[in-house]
Amino acid sequence: MAETALPSLKVKRSKPDWRVWLGVLPFFLFALLFLILPSLKLFVGSFTNDKGQLTLNNILQLITQQSILDSYWLSIKISAVTAIGGGLIGFLLAYSVTVGGLPKILRPILITFSGVASNFAGVPLAFAFVATLGRTGFITYLLSHFLNLKIYDAGFNLYSFLGLSLTYMYFQFPLMILIMAPALDGLKPEWREAAENLGATGTQYWLRVALPILLPTILGTMILLFGNAFGAYATAYALTGGALPIITIQIGAQIRGDVLHNPGLGYAMALGMVVIMGISLLGYSLLQGRTERWLK
Amino acid sequence: MNLPFGWLQFAQNRFKRQQKPPDGRRKTPFWSWVWFIGGTLYLALPLLATFSFSLQMKRDTISLQAYKSAFADPAFINSFLFSIGLATVTIIASIALIVPTAYWIRLRLPQARRTVEFITLLPFVIPAIILVFGLIRIYSQPLSIPFTSLSMGQSLTNSKYGTLILIVAGYMVLGLPYMYRSIDTGMRTVDVRTLTEAAQSLGANWYTIMTRVILPNLRTALLSGALLTFAIVVGEVVLASYLGVAAFGPYLFLLGQHRAFEPAALTFATFLLTWIAMGIIQLVTGGQGQTTGAH
Amino acid sequence: MRTNKFGIQLVVSLVVLATILSACGAPAAPAATQAPAVSAMDQLVADAKKEGMLTTIALPHDWCNYGEAIQAFKDKYGIQVNELNPDGGSGDEIEAIKANMNNTGPQAPDVVDVGYSFGEANKDLFQPYKVSTWATIPDSAKSPDGYWYGDYYGVMSFLVNTDIQPKVPQDWGDLTDPAYKGQVALSGDPRVSNQAIQAVYASALANGGSLDNAQPGLDFFAKVNQAGNLVPVISNNGLVAKGETPVRITWDYNGLAAIDSFNGNPKAVLVVPKTGRFGGVYVQAISKYAPHPNAAKLWMEYLYSDEGQLTWMKGYCHPIREADLRARSVVPADLAAKLPDVTGAVFPTDAQMSAAKDLIIKDWDSAVGADVKAAP
Repeated sequence: MAETALPSLKVKRSKPDWRVWLGVLPFFLFALLFLILPSLKLFVGSFTNDKGQLTLNNILQLITQQSILDSYWLSIKISAVTAIGGGLIGFLLAYSVTVGGLPKILRPILITFSGVASNFAGVPLAFAFVATLGRTGFITYLLSHFLNLKIYDAGFNLYSFLGLSLTYMYFQFPLMILIMAPALDGLKPEWREAAENLGATGTQYWLRVALPILLPTILGTMILLFGNAFGAYATAYALTGGALPIITIQIGAQIRGDVLHNPGLGYAMALGMVVIMGISLLGYSLLQGRTERWLK
Repeated sequence: MNLPFGWLQFAQNRFKRQQKPPDGRRKTPFWSWVWFIGGTLYLALPLLATFSFSLQMKRDTISLQAYKSAFADPAFINSFLFSIGLATVTIIASIALIVPTAYWIRLRLPQARRTVEFITLLPFVIPAIILVFGLIRIYSQPLSIPFTSLSMGQSLTNSKYGTLILIVAGYMVLGLPYMYRSIDTGMRTVDVRTLTEAAQSLGANWYTIMTRVILPNLRTALLSGALLTFAIVVGEVVLASYLGVAAFGPYLFLLGQHRAFEPAALTFATFLLTWIAMGIIQLVTGGQGQTTGAH
Repeated sequence: MRTNKFGIQLVVSLVVLATILSACGAPAAPAATQAPAVSAMDQLVADAKKEGMLTTIALPHDWCNYGEAIQAFKDKYGIQVNELNPDGGSGDEIEAIKANMNNTGPQAPDVVDVGYSFGEANKDLFQPYKVSTWATIPDSAKSPDGYWYGDYYGVMSFLVNTDIQPKVPQDWGDLTDPAYKGQVALSGDPRVSNQAIQAVYASALANGGSLDNAQPGLDFFAKVNQAGNLVPVISNNGLVAKGETPVRITWDYNGLAAIDSFNGNPKAVLVVPKTGRFGGVYVQAISKYAPHPNAAKLWMEYLYSDEGQLTWMKGYCHPIREADLRARSVVPADLAAKLPDVTGAVFPTDAQMSAAKDLIIKDWDSAVGADVKAAP
C-alpha cells in the first residue's frame, strides 16, 4: 500500500535512536514497578522449597509430574474452546449491532451490558449458572415441564467440562463484543459499495474484503480471550471445586490452600503459565504478521 | 484489492461520514436478529435466575426482603461509592499512560510492539494473589534508591495515600490487557498514521494532535476500555482484601459467605447499578454515533 | 519477741491474702504473682488503646458469631478493628503473615485463627502469649510454650434442606441411599480446604476406620460418588437454600448459623451423625511481626474471657474452655440447650491429623476426584 511520503516523515527519521525509546519509558517504568518487580520477587520463589533453600525441584516436578502436565493441558483445552467459541459468537453479536442493521438503540444497550458481563465471574457467576442449568435450575425445570426433556437424565451435567465452558462463555462473548464493535465500526460502508459496484455478492465482500481486514483484530482478541480463560480461577473453583483440576486451581491449592501448601511449586506453576502465554503470543504474532502483511 | 488511502481520500471519507449514515446496512437483518436474540437470551437468563432466587427470601411469597436486608447496611453504599471513585481514577490514569504509549509504538517504535503486547498479557497469567503479595513485600519498605541513603519517609503501605496509590496501580495492571487491546484496536481502525500526517501538514504540534485529533477519534475504543476497567475495579476482591482497602468487593464477600439470599440480591443489584453507571458514562461522553472530534 | 509477733502477723496476713486470692478462681499460681496481674491487665488495656488498632484476618462475621465478638471488642475498648480478607483460609492467613513481615501498615495481620494442624507447623511465625485463663484450656489443645492455643471446636455434621429433602440422613452410611442422588456436597475441595478434608476424615470413623486410619473415608466417598450422590460443586448456604445441594457436609456451627439466617425459608435441620463424630479444633495465635502486639494480646484476653467464650457459644461453637464454664455454671441454660449433643466426639492429635491429611490429598483424585463429573 502506497505510503505518501511527506517531507516531515523523513525529517523525523533522522533523530537518534535512543530518544525514540523515551516515548515508551513511562509505560515500561510503570510495568517494571508494579507488574514485573512484584512478580519477579515471587517467581524467585519458584526456585525455593518450603524451607527457603534454593532448589530446582519445583521446576523438575512441573515438567515431570503427570497430574501437573494434565492440568496444563486441561487449562489449554478449555481456554482454546472458549476463546474460539466465545470469539465466534461474540463476533456475530458485535456484527449484528454494528453493521448488521438492527435498531441503533440496541448497540449501547448491548455494549454497556457487555461491559458489566465481561467481569461477572467467580461465585456469583457460578451461582447464576447453577440457578439456570443446575439440577434445580430454572431452564432445567422449564425443559422438563414443558418439553418433557429431562436434561440430567440425558447425560447433561453442569458440573463438567461442558458446563464450565458454557459458564466461561459468559465473560468471553462480552469481551469479544466490546473489542470487536469499534473494529467493525472501521469497516467503511464505501468499501461495501465499491465491492458491490464491482459485482461482488455479500459473501464475497465478507470473505475477500471485510474478514481479511478484521482478521488481525479477531485473532488478537481471541488471544486475549485465551488468556482470560487461562487465568480464570474463582469461577472454576466455585462451580466444579477441584473436580476439573485446571492449572489455576492447582496453583491456588499450593499457595492458599489449608493443606498442600508448597508455595514454591505454586510459583513454579505460575511461571509455567507465563511460558505458555508467551508461546501463544509468539504463535499469534506470526499469524498477525501474515494477515497484516497487506495492511499499512 | 488496493485500497486508496492517501490523506485526501481520508478527509473525503470523514466528510461523508458526517452526513447521515449511508445505507451499508441494507441487508435484511434477519440473521442479525437471530444472533442478537440468541445472545441476549444467553446473557439474560442467568441474571434472571439470580433475580428470581433473590425474591424468595420470604417463604412462599415474592418479596424484596433480601434487598432490604442487604441495603440496610451503610457499609454497602460507602464501599460501592468508594470503589466507583477508585475505578474513575484508575481509568483516567490508564488512559493517560496507555494512549501515548500505544500511539508512540504505532508511529515510531514498531519494534517495541511485541514486547509491550507480551507485558500487557502478563496480568492474565499472574494470579492476583501473587501480584498483591509481591506489591506488599516490595512496598512495605520505604522506597529508596539503591546504594544511596536517599529514601522516602514512609513505606507506601503505611500511609493511607500510599496504599491508595498501590491499589490504583494494581488495578491499572489488572486492566492493562483490556485497555491496551481496546486502544490498540481503535488506533488500528482509525489509522493514526494518516491522521497524524494530515494534522502535522496542517501545522499542529504534538499536544494538539493528541488532544484534538487522536483522542476524540478513539472515543469508542476508550469507552470500551473504560467500561471494562470500571467493571474490573468494582468487582475486584483479592487486591482490596489484602491491601486492607474498604472497597466493594471485600464487602460483598464478607456478606455473601454465609447468607443465602442476600448475595443473590446484591449480585443482581450491583450488576444493575454498574450497568446504569456505565449507561450514564456513555451518555455523558456522547454515545456511539459521533466520530467527529471535539470542537 | 517483737520479731516473733511481727513474724506471726506476716504469716497470718500472707495466708489470708492467699486464701482470698485463690478464691477468685485464679490459676494455681503462687499468690505473690497474682496481685500484679490485675494491674498488668489495666496496663495492657492502656497499651492497646495507645496502639489504637487491631488487624484481623479471615474472620467472617457469621462464623462462630465473630461479628458480635468484634463489635463488642470495639465497643468495650474503643479500638479500631481492621478486617482483612474475610474469605481466606488458614493457608491465606499464614501467607499474609509471611508477606507482611516488614510491614507495619494495616495490611499485616496481628492475630490469626487457623486450623489445628497449622499451629505447631508455623510456630516460628508466632509470638508466645499465655492469657490469664490459660490453665483452664485443656492441655491437648494448646502449645506448652504458649505459641498457639485452641479457641473453639465443632463437630462435622449434615445441614439438610428439609423442604427439598424431607428424608433426613441420620448417619454417614445414609448418604449412599439412592434418595440422595445428586444432592450431597462438601464445603470445599478436599485437596485444599481444611473443612472438606476433615469431612472425609470424619467419615472414616463411621466406616471401620479410626483416627489412625483415614482410608475408609476415601473408600466411603468413592462409594457415595459411584452412587451418583456426590456433587462436585463447593456448597454454600445459597446453594442449600436453592435446593441444588440440599445435603451439605459442614461444621455444626456453620450449619446452625445457616438455619438461623434462613429464618424458616427454607426449613432446614442440622444432624450430627450417630457414629463418626469428629471434632475439629481451630487455634488462635499472635503474629511474631504484629504491628499492634498489645491490641493483639488484649483481643486474646477478651476472647478467652468468659464473655468472649460465651459469644462464640452463641455462634454455636463449642468454646475451648467449655468444661470450665460449665463447671462454674456460667453458661446460661438457654444457650446451653441450643448446642447440639456431641457426646462421643473424638479429636485427632497433630500427628494423626497430618497423616490423614497426606493420605486424603494424595488419594482423593484417584479415589473420587476425576470421576465426579460423570454423575448423571
